[in-house]
Amino acid sequence: MGERSPCSLTALGVVNCLGRNPSEIWKRLIEGDQSGFRQRTDFVPDRSLWVGEVRDSLPELPPELSRFACRNNALTLLALEQIRGEFETALSRFGSDRIGVILGTSTSGVGDAESAIAHQIESGALSSRFHYDQLEFGGASSFVAELLGLGGPAYTLSTACSSGARALASARSLIRLGVCDAVIAGATDSLCGLTTSGFSALQALSDEITNPMSGNRKGLTLGEGAALFLVTADPDGIQLLGVGESSEAHHMSAPDPAGTGARSAMEFALTDAGLGASEIDYLNLHGTGTPLNDSMESVAVDTVFDSGVPCSSTKAVVGHTLGAAGAMEAAFCWLLLAARDGDQLTLPPHCWDGVQDETLPVLALAEKGQCVRAAHPARVMSNSFGFGGNNCTLVLGEPS
Amino acid sequence: MEATVRGWSAWAPSLEDAQSWERWAEQPVPLGAEGVPDAKFLPPMLRRRCTPLTKIMLRVAFDACPEAERGHVRTVFASRHGSINESIDMIGAVVRQERLSPAKFSHTVHNAQAGLFSIAAGNREASASLAAQSDTFPFGFLEALTHLEREPDRPVLFVTADVPLAPTFAPLVSEATASYAVGLVLANDGPGPRIGFEIAPGDGAASARWPQAAEFLRWWLAGTDALQMEGARQQFRWSRL
Repeated sequence: MGERSPCSLTALGVVNCLGRNPSEIWKRLIEGDQSGFRQRTDFVPDRSLWVGEVRDSLPELPPELSRFACRNNALTLLALEQIRGEFETALSRFGSDRIGVILGTSTSGVGDAESAIAHQIESGALSSRFHYDQLEFGGASSFVAELLGLGGPAYTLSTACSSGARALASARSLIRLGVCDAVIAGATDSLCGLTTSGFSALQALSDEITNPMSGNRKGLTLGEGAALFLVTADPDGIQLLGVGESSEAHHMSAPDPAGTGARSAMEFALTDAGLGASEIDYLNLHGTGTPLNDSMESVAVDTVFDSGVPCSSTKAVVGHTLGAAGAMEAAFCWLLLAARDGDQLTLPPHCWDGVQDETLPVLALAEKGQCVRAAHPARVMSNSFGFGGNNCTLVLGEPS
Repeated sequence: MEATVRGWSAWAPSLEDAQSWERWAEQPVPLGAEGVPDAKFLPPMLRRRCTPLTKIMLRVAFDACPEAERGHVRTVFASRHGSINESIDMIGAVVRQERLSPAKFSHTVHNAQAGLFSIAAGNREASASLAAQSDTFPFGFLEALTHLEREPDRPVLFVTADVPLAPTFAPLVSEATASYAVGLVLANDGPGPRIGFEIAPGDGAASARWPQAAEFLRWWLAGTDALQMEGARQQFRWSRL
């Protein structure tokens, strides 16, 4: 292991269809509250789709940054505002040149580009409100760097569903390389016509709310949101203990059914954290509700955790937030640890129809209200297995 | 920060081998915008679906890395624009309420090239894809160093590439336009020259005659002891050690 510095997830800002702050989101998450979903008929022609949408108005960007204006960056702003206080502390401690930004996204400003291109089709010109900075992926991280006046490295990772988890992994490395003392790391994705139409064309979307691990599962429910962490080398606070990465080398839109890539990611994360599988108190599944992911992941989880592990997919409550998912679900793991009550951890329940897929190993899916007894320090794991076969598993834990 | 450069490769129209690039480094001219490399090294099924960017990136990825190593390196793919050109067509289809091609959609995610490389090379190691506006190359280099931090004994194949933006967006962006890719294999040790990399505050006075990755390669092949590159908010400095 060597003398590697600790990595603390010092503060969290999060927004999704359940709410606009951690306590609101956590409360609805542990209740398995699916009322954050609503139906939209305007994304895909002739289809009514359930989506986990962030409702009501979003903040405007400051006028001097209007070239970055898009739904994605407005969601980022909502999450950033929640960690403003801790950020200011880090700023006085370290200085602006020592703070970096690594964000993940799979959409950036595509939704707003759809309006701009529609305008061009009708009138021959892009809307004057459109700027390339809002669309290109690099704009997502530049926006934050410009907004906060940061001189540290700023870049955007885009590896589909693993983007947000990768952002945390790279943030930890930047601190260990001595390039940064703090990093704003996380991910944002927003609902848009292109992504919903694309997944619909792949026949990956369910007509009903997603039903992960069920014998009746029929596909994804999409969601949107942002989850941003302030990452530092603090030994106190919830720690990023381990990162495991792999690629599938199989197919662009389907994982290797044997689950080899998923298994590698989980095992590498455990090794990196210096832990055995039996030391994990909860696993947040990738659990997208597609036939292929859930069968692959069940097999991989059953192999890695031969005594089982309490687990759930939170995508049945917030949707699959795609590029944001890896950070969003790390956020849920963070909230779980932060909500410790004595020796009990309350688990986000696995919402499904309860119908076991007989062809798959049985997992210890958490029920509503379920708690586990976990001695200090508790450790939890989060899986993100991305489109294009890009896998990243994280291990979070309480400080020892 | 430091690393060993185990190898390099590059492609641009009419610059398809190492000797051509070494001559270009001595007497650089603007890089071409039109053309793609042949992709005969890819199996036909994959080759058919490749966008121009994919062909360029994968050609350079394959050239930088001998076959015996191709399955064992981590990979970092950096592209400012990625598949934006193909996305424009699909966005038009969405706006006109037409059906999308699932294969086309699969191949326009920003990590499409990474996924295709993984399949073509049988590579199951970690992979990242990124963008950073006009500083995509230096931050891709930095991301490659983060991979060396996470797994010190495994080399990293780092490829930066772009093709010109389609006319819909090209007038909105001021940059050196080219179709190109530059690949480096970086490691913590092993055979190859050592390189240093530093990032310092800058004043944003960036303007380049060629893409940053090509500027780097020009220096690496024919330049002096150090290269200073101005970025949007930082200065980047590479040095021979």
